[in-house]
Amino acid sequence: MNLVKQTIDGIYNLLLGLGVTVKHLFKKAITVQYPKERWEMPERSRGVIVLLSDKETGKLNCTACMLCARACPVAAIKIEREKNPETKKFEPTSFDIDTTVCCYCGLCEQACNFSAIKLTGKYEFSVYDKDRLQYDMDFLQEIGRDVKYEKKKKVAKKAVKKAAQKKKEDKAGEEEKSQEKSATKPSAKADAAAEDEKPADSEQKEESKTEDKTGDDKNEPDSSEESESKKE
Amino acid sequence: MMETKGLRTEEFMVNMGPQHPSTHGVCKLVLKMDGELVKEIQPHVGYLHRSIEKIAENRTYAQIVPFTDRIDYCASMNSNHAYVEAVERMAEVEVPERAQYLRVIMAELNRIASHLLWLATFTIDLGAVTPFLYAFREREEIMDMFEMTCGQRLTYNYMKIGGVNWDIPKEFVPKAKQFLKILPGKVDEYEDLLTNNPILLYRTKGIGVLSSEKAIEYSASGPSIRASGVRWDIRKAEPYAVYDKFDFNIPVRYNGDVWDRYKIRLDEMRESAKIVEQAIDGLPEGDIAKKVPMTWKPKEGEVFCRIEAPRGEMAYHIISDGTNKPYRVKIRTGSFCNLQLLPAIATNHLIADLVAIFGSLDIVLPEVDR
Repeated sequence: MNLVKQTIDGIYNLLLGLGVTVKHLFKKAITVQYPKERWEMPERSRGVIVLLSDKETGKLNCTACMLCARACPVAAIKIEREKNPETKKFEPTSFDIDTTVCCYCGLCEQACNFSAIKLTGKYEFSVYDKDRLQYDMDFLQEIGRDVKYEKKKKVAKKAVKKAAQKKKEDKAGEEEKSQEKSATKPSAKADAAAEDEKPADSEQKEESKTEDKTGDDKNEPDSSEESESKKE
Repeated sequence: MMETKGLRTEEFMVNMGPQHPSTHGVCKLVLKMDGELVKEIQPHVGYLHRSIEKIAENRTYAQIVPFTDRIDYCASMNSNHAYVEAVERMAEVEVPERAQYLRVIMAELNRIASHLLWLATFTIDLGAVTPFLYAFREREEIMDMFEMTCGQRLTYNYMKIGGVNWDIPKEFVPKAKQFLKILPGKVDEYEDLLTNNPILLYRTKGIGVLSSEKAIEYSASGPSIRASGVRWDIRKAEPYAVYDKFDFNIPVRYNGDVWDRYKIRLDEMRESAKIVEQAIDGLPEGDIAKKVPMTWKPKEGEVFCRIEAPRGEMAYHIISDGTNKPYRVKIRTGSFCNLQLLPAIATNHLIADLVAIFGSLDIVLPEVDR
């Protein structure tokens, strides 16, 4: 009797399972036929890194503040900078990202206050030559030309410009001093990160302070960060 | 075993792995075989060792989070959660309630995704291909939700010290609700396909029995210990985040065989779905993160903090010496402790059963080696 019951049970459950598969036979497949069809990447997608440039002037947004290089957990970003004698501001002379070690964590994008670096939804970046995975500044800028970036940051960018203009008018002398400091210190103690951080940050602090007045919450953390770290 | 007169048999060694498909990564099992019977098992680990614990000593607290993604790649959210929870407890950082809720939502969705992935690989180990495709289909929905929230499908880097990195987009809640609506039906579908399937029953019932005493002795955790009749879940035993606010059950089974470990994960998926549903309904408004500066230095201290990851307890022991980098990070993972159960429960089984037992323990090798 037991054997009969087992057999009937077994057959019933096998049929039950088969029923599930039969139900699916007539459903539409969810497969995306990749090279022919492409799916839309979500807005926040973290794929290929690009450097963003200003839409009007076509220049890079990067101010070579080195925050992204310092935030990177795998040290994939290498920046060299130079002070522009005309504007007395830092500009990157080379900006290399080693995408073979990059872990696409997005910490650089979070650290950036000038919406200069972004992880985009681009995803096809396989190449035949390994060396081509070392992205240099021109390449990063080129692939970032068609990337739309967030409105909030755009506002921040304008605010930065306004702030810079105001600052030039108001405290032209102070700015020079702080930049002189930042120019001398990192070169002397390039390796000591903690030492290195202070001068570079103090530059931004002045700018972000004025931004706060415009009510942009994206940049608020900076000023609070500074004050907290100063207490310590 | 059948005795055969006049034939001399001898034991021989077999290397199973490291590239064996059913070892889910690179685990090498050195087996001493007597015919088809496994007499001795020696797991060899270390093929995926990336020295994350040592790397962590040279990174700032915020920079370690992406590395924790890579410890258990099937449940990165839970790895993130364990680490940030530990650091926050050590430095007494208050986390906004909305961030706590978001963390719970993500961790539980990831638990469902992880169990679905387990179901897929476990059944394909046993030779059933259909559930593999079905489970991946449902997992895809969760991956989509994660991708729209944090931009990646596997290594999320979603949580940070003091909160979470991104708020959920507005499409998230409807999509999650819709998914939670269909999930119980899908789990029922898997049950129809598998649970009482005679082939699966023969492969799993009474195989690899783990008694509750042995489970405690070997400090097993996660579904493996709960299938052996021990009601042990950190979410209930030592509630972290906001788990004490939700109403959910801890499924327990008492036979401790492969079938029970299979069944308990299906039940857990249902319970996790309940938690996510409650968390989404009760999601408070407010900040998603407390502002923690980039050069953040916690005060000197030490913490041991554990959470319930899909594969058992995941714990971080962090020692701070007052600088912006931790002095020591020790990671305890569920898979590492569960792997040592294998010699204890799989000896004197057929080699085909060894595959089923190994699959049922749900071992992820990067988590073993770290």
